[in-house]
Amino acid sequence: MLAESIALDGRTYAVAKTSLKQPSRGDAGLTDSPDQPDTLHDDLRCCADGDKNALRRIFDREAPRLVAVALRIVRRRELAEDVVQEAFVQIWTKAHQYQPERGSARGWIYAIARNRALNMLRDGKREDLVPEERLEILRDSEQMTEIMGSWHRLDRDGRLHDCLAALEEVRRKGILMAYVGGYSHGEIAGKLDIPLGTAKSWIRRGLTTLRECMA
Amino acid sequence: MSITARNIFEIADDFVLGLLDTDEQVQVEARIEVEPALAAAVAAAQNRFLPLDLSVEPIATSGDLWARIEQTLPSQSAPAPIPGTASDGGAAGRSAAGSGNTTATSPGNDPAAAGPLAPPAANDNSASPWRIGAILASAACLVLAAGLGWSLMRSPEPMVIAVLLNGAGEPQAIVEDFGNDTASVRLLSDFTVPDDKVMQVWTLPTRDMGPVSLGLLQQAHSATLAGPKLPPPHDAQLYEITLEQTGGSPTGRPTGPILVKGFAKLPR
Repeated sequence: MLAESIALDGRTYAVAKTSLKQPSRGDAGLTDSPDQPDTLHDDLRCCADGDKNALRRIFDREAPRLVAVALRIVRRRELAEDVVQEAFVQIWTKAHQYQPERGSARGWIYAIARNRALNMLRDGKREDLVPEERLEILRDSEQMTEIMGSWHRLDRDGRLHDCLAALEEVRRKGILMAYVGGYSHGEIAGKLDIPLGTAKSWIRRGLTTLRECMA
Repeated sequence: MSITARNIFEIADDFVLGLLDTDEQVQVEARIEVEPALAAAVAAAQNRFLPLDLSVEPIATSGDLWARIEQTLPSQSAPAPIPGTASDGGAAGRSAAGSGNTTATSPGNDPAAAGPLAPPAANDNSASPWRIGAILASAACLVLAAGLGWSLMRSPEPMVIAVLLNGAGEPQAIVEDFGNDTASVRLLSDFTVPDDKVMQVWTLPTRDMGPVSLGLLQQAHSATLAGPKLPPPHDAQLYEITLEQTGGSPTGRPTGPILVKGFAKLPR
């Protein structure tokens, strides 16, 4: 049916199409999205239909990165894998709730994993499993390197990199500690050795500046 | 400090950064369900920070991680997300034993952004209304996924509406552009698309910008598309659907034959 209508209408529409394309000549064109939202989106839809292969595809593509993201927050490999396990079960059971108009499929998937990791922190499992002194050492060394490294690894031409670079160092640090390391306001204040209220207002101002910079 | 007094962008940022306490987190999750502006702000904040996650050095997963996941997957046809059922307890996994809030979700009211979930139902006795509700919800979801796409429950009003016509002047599709980078496309007739082709939706926001893709219609179904950031749609703005190769036009401009096109009108 369609093939016919194309054949029938091809000529008349070819004219219309030219007029649509004409003004575009010589300009930069669309920038291609670096991730493949359609693939993930389709896989989520198949998950909602009960297709485990679709979940496996998401796992193969995203799990190694999700483990790394979780590890920066929970800081132990076994816990990070537990987080990712829980996240995938949740992706499976909630796939039918994903709404594309509420953001990218990838953002949705990462938000689930991040939330599982943060919940594990709030449940206190990390503290249970790591003695307090060791935790402090970890926080001091690898953890801070890892957190600040997350910013250096960003695409240098990217907006987020530039906008973070434009922030005062202490604000950038606070924001990265929260997002990348899962630190609370209180932990950030302690770590940066500033009063809690100061930490909160610096982070809030930093976030506002960042938002405006990226708008 | 009450989060209700703060602007939605600050709340969204704190939500995405995990800086809210548990009560606030739960409040925000509930508000996301009923406040599209807050939901949009959260989605925008997620996307803003996502590069920090995507640029991480990946770590090879343990060989048995997938097997562990697969073992704990509830069946999708059974109403898995019922709070408090035995299968949820199993799925919660050893690391979350006792917390009870891992995979248990209340049907239908979970924020897309996830988060600490609603508390599980107080008893294990999955009452039949819950179960029936979940079965219906799940059946409806299958129907939607199969037939109607994802265009559900849009509360905002479209800024413009375009009726797209074929060469014979017959209405074949309707585009509702909400002006917030989302547009709903409803097909009014059956389109047969060859296996190696896909329908792609375009608009012409301004002459200077040229045609811009709003997205692909997978399997020739109606859909709500999240397009790029564009100026607010205006009266008589052109919308059209072309037939492009799988994955969409390689040039970022319409290259295939036009199936339907039309000019937008402002609803009054």
